[in-house]
Amino acid sequence: MTGTAGAGMFLAALAFVWPFLGAAAVCAVPVARSRELAIWMSAIGCVLALAVFVFPASGAVAAGWDDDPVQRAGRVMLAFGLLLMVLENGILHDRLVRSLPHVSTALAGLACIAPDPAVGLGILEAALAWGVFVFTRPAGQARMGWGLIRNGSVGTFLVLSGLLLPANTVVSGLLMACGLVVLTGLSPFGQFWQDENDTFLFLPFAGAALLLAMRLRTHGGEAFETALVLCGLLSVWLTACAGRFPDRQRLFRTFPSALALIAVGIQADVAALLFLCGWCLAGGGRAGRGWAVNTLACFPPGAPFVGCLLLLSMMSDWSWPLALLTVAGILAAVTRAVPARDITHHFWPQDAAGRVACSVLTATGLLVPLAMMLGAF
Amino acid sequence: MTLAAILMPLLALCVVARGIGFLPLLGLVAAAAMLVDGHTPLQQAGAAMAVVFAIGPVLFLLRYQHDAARERTGSAIPFFALGLMVLLLLACTRAGVAVFPASLCVVVAGLVSVICRQSMVWQWAGLLTCVEGVLLCGVQAFQPSVVGVAGLAGAVVAVLGGMCIHRIMPRVVPLRPPSARKKSSPDSPEKNGDAA
Repeated sequence: MTGTAGAGMFLAALAFVWPFLGAAAVCAVPVARSRELAIWMSAIGCVLALAVFVFPASGAVAAGWDDDPVQRAGRVMLAFGLLLMVLENGILHDRLVRSLPHVSTALAGLACIAPDPAVGLGILEAALAWGVFVFTRPAGQARMGWGLIRNGSVGTFLVLSGLLLPANTVVSGLLMACGLVVLTGLSPFGQFWQDENDTFLFLPFAGAALLLAMRLRTHGGEAFETALVLCGLLSVWLTACAGRFPDRQRLFRTFPSALALIAVGIQADVAALLFLCGWCLAGGGRAGRGWAVNTLACFPPGAPFVGCLLLLSMMSDWSWPLALLTVAGILAAVTRAVPARDITHHFWPQDAAGRVACSVLTATGLLVPLAMMLGAF
Repeated sequence: MTLAAILMPLLALCVVARGIGFLPLLGLVAAAAMLVDGHTPLQQAGAAMAVVFAIGPVLFLLRYQHDAARERTGSAIPFFALGLMVLLLLACTRAGVAVFPASLCVVVAGLVSVICRQSMVWQWAGLLTCVEGVLLCGVQAFQPSVVGVAGLAGAVVAVLGGMCIHRIMPRVVPLRPPSARKKSSPDSPEKNGDAA
């Protein structure tokens, strides 16, 4: 192995290990310094993920790692999602809770690079178990924890059952699509987070499930892709129809996931990547903030807006009726389900976390199509 | 196809219809179905996990009271599971699968139990039934990664489910004869468990 290849491999390995180091460091330092250290560790993690994207390990495929540029870019989004989670939270007194975003992001990154998707599912199950253990330690949380384990395990078993059936069959594709919809937490099929703290676990968890969905297409075949498109479309239309109900937030905050699943279904991986960026930086419990609402509703100039354009341009080649249904669903959802009209006018947020998120979203929306034109994807 | 593999969907339907009491038998039959073709390390490991995940939870539950109070009758649920099994069989036949998909029928029955039953113990039994089915399928397909993931998922379900049951369900309190009660001093009250 040459020196450059060795350095690339070392960089990639360091990027995977770094969030675990961050978790250990955040646990070890005193409470007062933990937030500052967590910000530094997650920022260095972002730089490492970007470096791995720009300088990929040349022997990664031979070593059993997945070397797809979209997957590498997806791990960059997961790293920025971790940075944003750390930035927008104050000082957390519980050691395990404050290390949980680092651990769940690290396990999500590992799940994406596993050579076998089944192993990735196992790593996601381990992340779920650790998160549920951390969440359910206080009294009165046992039943909530059981709900999380039950739903996550149902998704895992469905995908595993599909993987055990012959590839490119209808039943295999349907089982895998149902499992992935549950794992991504797409409303109303698998919405299984209930608390604000759950975003520590489920933002990277659902992001990793989306990245795994791209790799499962080879096994699932046409039925898998069609089922993903239909589930995403149904979720978009339900978001639009639930616009007048008080519980519309639950549907609206998985809007980028629904569009990402449609993009995965029509093999528009770059569009799915842009929706994943919107999910990691504006999803979860941020649906009450103006800039996040703008992003979730695919308003320009964020990454989901560009993703929408890419999705619709590719969908018209896939199926005209479904493209029209998608356009109508997105427009109906945006006009009916956007929560509060007045807060959407504040594009540039006042807090540091929001500014970082908006900058990353705008830069991603500009750079990803540019990289696509230059042949990076 | 062995007799054990045919018996497994029936036992899974019994779990859907009657509860966790049939899980040990299901685990033993699954272990027998795994070991009938040979004794490779993968088969032995799969069989050991199947037995542990089937018998361990039932032994654990002996310390807790029965929680069937919240369960509705649900007499149609086993027939729903049976219908889904038939659909799966037809779909697999159409897809060119020559062997009867007994292990996936077990997974389907377990999923029906998880989704349609309200009792936590019944849902736990459903998830463990899914684990048995995926383990058997992974062993029969000689896929060590799937067997490993199924084992990990089974451990997660068994341990975290057991922890939740420990915190939610009331413990069984042994009754003592009146003479023993008189002997115990009033300033050392007995513990009644941590049901709350």
